[in-house]
Amino acid sequence: MGRPAAVVSMARPNASQAVSYTTEELARYEAIVQRYARHVYNVAYRMTGNEADARDLAQETFLRVYRALRRVEPDAPLESWLYRIVSNLHIDLLRKRPRGRVESLDAPVDTPRGELLREMPDPGSSPEAIIEREQLDATIQRALGTLSPDLRMVVVLSDVEGYSYEEIAMFLRVPLGTVKSRLHRARQILQQRLARYVEARRRGWEP
Amino acid sequence: MTLNHHRVSQLLSAYLDRELGPAETAAVQEHLLDCASCRAAYEGLRTTKELLGELPVAEPPAGFWAAVRAPWLDRRAAAARIRGVFGRRVAWASAAAVLALALAATPLVKGTIDRLHASEIGVDLYVRQHAQAMGAEPFTDRAYLGLTTGDADLVLSGDAPPAGAAPR
Repeated sequence: MGRPAAVVSMARPNASQAVSYTTEELARYEAIVQRYARHVYNVAYRMTGNEADARDLAQETFLRVYRALRRVEPDAPLESWLYRIVSNLHIDLLRKRPRGRVESLDAPVDTPRGELLREMPDPGSSPEAIIEREQLDATIQRALGTLSPDLRMVVVLSDVEGYSYEEIAMFLRVPLGTVKSRLHRARQILQQRLARYVEARRRGWEP
Repeated sequence: MTLNHHRVSQLLSAYLDRELGPAETAAVQEHLLDCASCRAAYEGLRTTKELLGELPVAEPPAGFWAAVRAPWLDRRAAAARIRGVFGRRVAWASAAAVLALALAATPLVKGTIDRLHASEIGVDLYVRQHAQAMGAEPFTDRAYLGLTTGDADLVLSGDAPPAGAAPR
């Protein structure tokens, strides 16, 4: 591998994180963005339940990748690192704004998005399947918001993103048994919160 | 292997995810044949997992891709919104630094006042001159550098000893 042909300065004059990366390194960053950003955003969105926070979390996560780019091995899987950052940033966010993020099952769920504050929609009220599906998604998202961050992260990684117990245990640095029990607990709570939909689905009603 | 009802009910999620070993899997299957309430619980968990799996992949808002591709441009706002706690920690650290500075400055100020006082009432010219010089430049005073508190507690001859002071 020869010397990189061009050095592109990414630094703005006043930026404290002044970093000069080669075009090769920037291409590597772009590849990481391509490969992971959508999933990182999706997990962040399911964790926070709103676009603005999800965007902040994902953006901050990728800023860290960008800063550490030289220490990132090419082609190494980054899920573990990325999801751990998202999880930690999410906890930071909750510490900063505990008021807006009630974690109790009994308390009303408060999210910055107005439509999530409404009563659970009646599944039969709308003739449009799309609207019903959107209402169902909003209800599921709201139910996710009632879980503690630990339970939420595990169920999002497992049931939304489709990772195995072993992968999740590695991502979050917790024992396999912890993943197992958190996931089971999370599903039990969600099942309770979504009882109407779960019942309807079991009886053959499709949203 | 035979598992009791409670144990099976705890294993239903792992069974659903095919994360059990063959012996446990067989034992759960066997129990499910006999136990209607576990079958219902299993169906509920399966449907819940199904509903979660059908959630659409969230579409990032406009500007997301540009921001992620050029994170050095628009990071301060995002970081500040997440890192409120960190900001508060910085504020606490600053407050602590100010306090530490005040604690360090107190003997300096008090010592200087005492030295100037000593330069007026000192027993002889040498003491008065020395006290005056050290009052002007406290950091050259060996007593201040080495024995800050001792120096600050200095009792000048002619002054009444402070209340509670040890007898000399």
